[in-house]
Amino acid sequence: MSAQGRANGSPLLHMTGVVKRFPGVVALGGVDLEVRSGEVHCLLGQNGAGKSTLIKVLAGVHTPDEGHILWNGTEVTFPHPQAAMEHGIATMYQELDLVEGLTVAENIFLGHELSRFGFPRRRATQERAQELLTQLGHPGISPTTEVGGLSAANQQIVSMARALSRDVRLIIMDEPSAVLDSAEVDQLFDVVRELTSAGVAVVYISHRLDEIREIGDRVTVLKDGATVATGLDAKSTPTAELITLMTGRSIEYVFPTREAPDTAATPLLSVEDLGRDGEFHDVSFDVRPGEIVGIAGLVGAGRSEVLETIFGARRAERGRVRVGGTVVPPGSVAKAVAAGIGLAPEERKSQALVLEHSVGDNISLASLPAFSRAGWIDRGAERASSESYASSLEVRPRGVDREMRTLSGGNQQKIVLARWLQRGSRVLLLDEPTRGVDVGARSEIYTLIRTLSEDGCAVVVVSSEIPEVLGLADRVLVMADGAVLHQGPAAELDEHRVLDIILRGEAA
Amino acid sequence: MTTPIRKRSAFVAAAAALALLATGCTSNTPETEDTASESGGEQSGNAGSSNDEQGDTVVIGFSGPAADHGWLAAINSSAQEAAAEYPDIELRSAEGTNDASLQISHIETFINEGVDAIVLLPTDGAALTEVATRAMQAGIPVVNVDREFSSEFAARTTILGDNYGMGVSAGTYACQLVEENDIADPVIAEIAGIDSLPLTQDRSQGFADALSECGQSVDNRVAAEFTVESGERVTANLLQAAPQIDIIWNHDDDQGVGVMAALDNAGRDEMALIGGAGSANAMRWIEEGRMEATVLYPPTQAADGIKLARLLAQDKGMSDLVQVEVPRRIVLNAPVVTQENVAEYMDLGFES
Amino acid sequence: MSNELTSPENEVTGHDVAPADAPAVSAPGTAGLAGFLGSGLGRNLGLIIALLLLCAVGFATAGDRFASADNVLTILRLGSVIGVVSIGMTFVICGGGIDLSVGAIVALSSVWATTLATQTMAENVHWVVMVFTAIAVGAGCGLINGVLVAYGRVAPFIATLAMLAGARGLAEIIAQRRTQIIRDRDFITFFGGDVLGIPVLVIIFVLVSVFGWVLLNRTTFGRRTLAIGGNAEAARLAGIQVRRQTAMLYILLGIACGIAAVMIMARTTTGTSTHGQLYELDAIAAVVIGGTLLSGGRGTIVGTVLGVLIFTTLTNVFTLNNLDTSTQAVAKGVIIIAAVLLQQRVAERHRSSG
Repeated sequence: MSAQGRANGSPLLHMTGVVKRFPGVVALGGVDLEVRSGEVHCLLGQNGAGKSTLIKVLAGVHTPDEGHILWNGTEVTFPHPQAAMEHGIATMYQELDLVEGLTVAENIFLGHELSRFGFPRRRATQERAQELLTQLGHPGISPTTEVGGLSAANQQIVSMARALSRDVRLIIMDEPSAVLDSAEVDQLFDVVRELTSAGVAVVYISHRLDEIREIGDRVTVLKDGATVATGLDAKSTPTAELITLMTGRSIEYVFPTREAPDTAATPLLSVEDLGRDGEFHDVSFDVRPGEIVGIAGLVGAGRSEVLETIFGARRAERGRVRVGGTVVPPGSVAKAVAAGIGLAPEERKSQALVLEHSVGDNISLASLPAFSRAGWIDRGAERASSESYASSLEVRPRGVDREMRTLSGGNQQKIVLARWLQRGSRVLLLDEPTRGVDVGARSEIYTLIRTLSEDGCAVVVVSSEIPEVLGLADRVLVMADGAVLHQGPAAELDEHRVLDIILRGEAA
Repeated sequence: MTTPIRKRSAFVAAAAALALLATGCTSNTPETEDTASESGGEQSGNAGSSNDEQGDTVVIGFSGPAADHGWLAAINSSAQEAAAEYPDIELRSAEGTNDASLQISHIETFINEGVDAIVLLPTDGAALTEVATRAMQAGIPVVNVDREFSSEFAARTTILGDNYGMGVSAGTYACQLVEENDIADPVIAEIAGIDSLPLTQDRSQGFADALSECGQSVDNRVAAEFTVESGERVTANLLQAAPQIDIIWNHDDDQGVGVMAALDNAGRDEMALIGGAGSANAMRWIEEGRMEATVLYPPTQAADGIKLARLLAQDKGMSDLVQVEVPRRIVLNAPVVTQENVAEYMDLGFES
Repeated sequence: MSNELTSPENEVTGHDVAPADAPAVSAPGTAGLAGFLGSGLGRNLGLIIALLLLCAVGFATAGDRFASADNVLTILRLGSVIGVVSIGMTFVICGGGIDLSVGAIVALSSVWATTLATQTMAENVHWVVMVFTAIAVGAGCGLINGVLVAYGRVAPFIATLAMLAGARGLAEIIAQRRTQIIRDRDFITFFGGDVLGIPVLVIIFVLVSVFGWVLLNRTTFGRRTLAIGGNAEAARLAGIQVRRQTAMLYILLGIACGIAAVMIMARTTTGTSTHGQLYELDAIAAVVIGGTLLSGGRGTIVGTVLGVLIFTTLTNVFTLNNLDTSTQAVAKGVIIIAAVLLQQRVAERHRSSG
């Protein structure tokens, strides 16, 4: 069906030479993009390559400084989001923009409510919402529930239903699969195929190359705010070529080999029979210095909850945690930190970083007492230390004075790691360490994690991407529904076997 | 304790009666001040007899603003004391409030309970007019105290302190000072209260009018908020604005504590300070010579209101008047208290 | 990547841990000065311009009466009381909170410190008793606010709204709605006096401001305050005791209110339940005009001081020109908006260029 779309040939959207400047930054320095009706056009690029800005230009959030946008062959401008919507462009943002206090139906029709004489038509709204949800394969989501109570995956569905609730010609999907498990991704793809066969164009952004291969028709690659390649075939273009285009250098998407850790060493972190009602139970494992333990499992398996409980952000109801043989009092982050535990949480922006503050302030947040005497901060020492950590972790751009929000995902993750290294943490809990990190920066993060481990840290990595867990970890725990189903050396597992354990719901 | 109160009440009642006869020159409302009542003289008043004798027991509802100010506190307590004097008064006193809608509901409760008379010092005269009219229509006489309703039909009797008259008294006294001390080109300052209140506007108008009689005018004017702190704050600025002042009239002795503090802070005592309302503090300062004078605005209005309400409910008239009925309108005099007569008025001073 | 990163003897002591390839750090002194001129002056340039304009208007319309040392001291003295409250308010707002009860706390502190019992004790011991009483009452109210907000999870708006009503009511009960005159002349003389020509009240304001600036910009307390205001969850997951820190902010503001109560007692020679009316609005306005983010996470003491001075000067200039209160109110509204707009423009330009 996408072949049919391609056969149409005529571009639905044609952007040429689009430039967008922000104070001090050129976000887009000449972008060309051509999207045809009925195709899935993938947008590839590292974080900071300009994808988000490009999307916002298309959605009418930003007005470009230069360049032309042709819509069906006619030059158009989108001075505000409403204008883009009127042309039939809908956007599903990565950061879900739903109003949590409103119901599913109200969210879907937010901004174009079905109403008569200014009074909302509730019945019609709900029926139409139900139709859309059914069409998306989720008839189980009730239009009258509040969005705040839905899972991330279901919120994604609502967001998509909202996009479809208008008469759309082009849908922009910004990493829609980030919060979905594989079954849900399959469902998403079914919907995408349905849309394209109806002639709707989809601009699809993802860091997962396998998804692009599966659903994409053509690929445009952005780098440093400019188009470096356009119209590549999504199925046949070699991975190495795509990565080269994105990064400007060849990156082997491989994990560095390493020697097996010393299994005889005394565990640095011991987790014994940890449990919390309704979340997880009987979780026990040891991590030795120099060892990386991975926890694999689908979203909702209880992996993040385990990490947060070890860290004291959730109070352990059963079991205990020991660092270096000493029991860590439960339910206190401060005591866990004092014991040498550091957590890089799943939601970096909302859980780890103060985005308006400087990079330096974010690094030193956990180590302030070390730089202060009687509460007075030695700013020289603080700065020197933070700068040295930032530069040794190769944070780009250099310097610790810029605002945190200006850094890309990968560099933000490095700041979180720098914080715990500066604090002297010996036990590092990493929850989805490469989420929102582009391919080039990922291998940097992998190398960093390995280095930390080799330096004697005990590392626990949680990830939804099974190859990542298998590639990084020495030993792997497989979790599903709050239970540990399997524990063993990573070398004895492969992706297929891990999926098998999870899907069968029992220890293999 | 009770004796001076009784004396005081008697004095005020007499003063009120006198003031009534003298209101023509100072009142800012031109309508008939006469006591004529449309109902004629068929109800037999009790003229000439002793009204203080016990009559039928009457239920009087009293409602006033929150007593967050010395003068208002004195209003409330004097009302209570007046009621306590008469064994035939059963006083229902509603909790003081600054919320007009709450006060309306107080009055509605009085109407429902079927009290014999209502004494009302409204938080806002206009806002309470409607409910007062309803009470009147229900046959309950309403005595309006201090802040006037916007309708003639909302009250049987209105007792007003004379705000305009206060200004006139202060202005006339200021003129007198200028004349006696032969001050050429005097600097006259005014420290008003809350500027948005009609009573403040009336006082300022009276002051300005009286000053113009002797060819003077207000050179500097500031407005405080009836609180000590605001009095101090605006006076500090005022003293900067005018490096030399001959006469200050401060509307309110409560904020006067702050005014006095500001004068002390700045080390300024060259001017004659005239106060307003007549707090005990002010009276003591006059005695000590730290203050020139204060213009009385008696906090006993509510007490008079209670007394009149009793007479109304018992169908009596005012015994000192030939007229057989309680007058429609009573405007209290605003005498000036100076060092010469302060001893006489000391009892009337309220603690702020 | 250096193995020194996580060397086991890793005591975080700055240079020692720095890998060999760490860039040379510029001398802290120059960075500090440049930083102050760059950020402090630059960020507050709009406010400084607004204040200077106001002074120009004052000088043009009132001449020497405005520019006299006496008048300048009067402005500073008037700004001192609300200024001390505003410095405390800056901390609470930086930490993501709000406190509507400051005026009521000032009133309660002033009343409690001037009761017959307190004054008698002060006469027997020293007037310092009154000072301690006022500050202790303020701190106590702040503690209640802080505990309710931080541990009771009551929204700051609600908790402090309750305190606003409760504290002023209690003040009225204690004072029986009377104005309590302070008998101790030494107290009045001390706080009403001056040192080298500078009024003691102004000196207190300056000390509190300097203390506040240092606390916010140079200490772990300040950094943590900004962190919990900027992202409380991130601060919590960095091991900061967010609830304790939050409670401390309200106590700090309570202490500031206690100090302000002492100042107002000295100025007016009284303690009464009507002190401090609408201080909450004046303080919040000064803080926000100063450039502190109402949502927390970013704040400036210098801006707050300028905000207070702008307000106080405004009233002074109006009074010198004998303008009536209604005109003052209109002009005040216009100038608030103008100052904020000017401030935003200048700050934006500063940020984009820096």
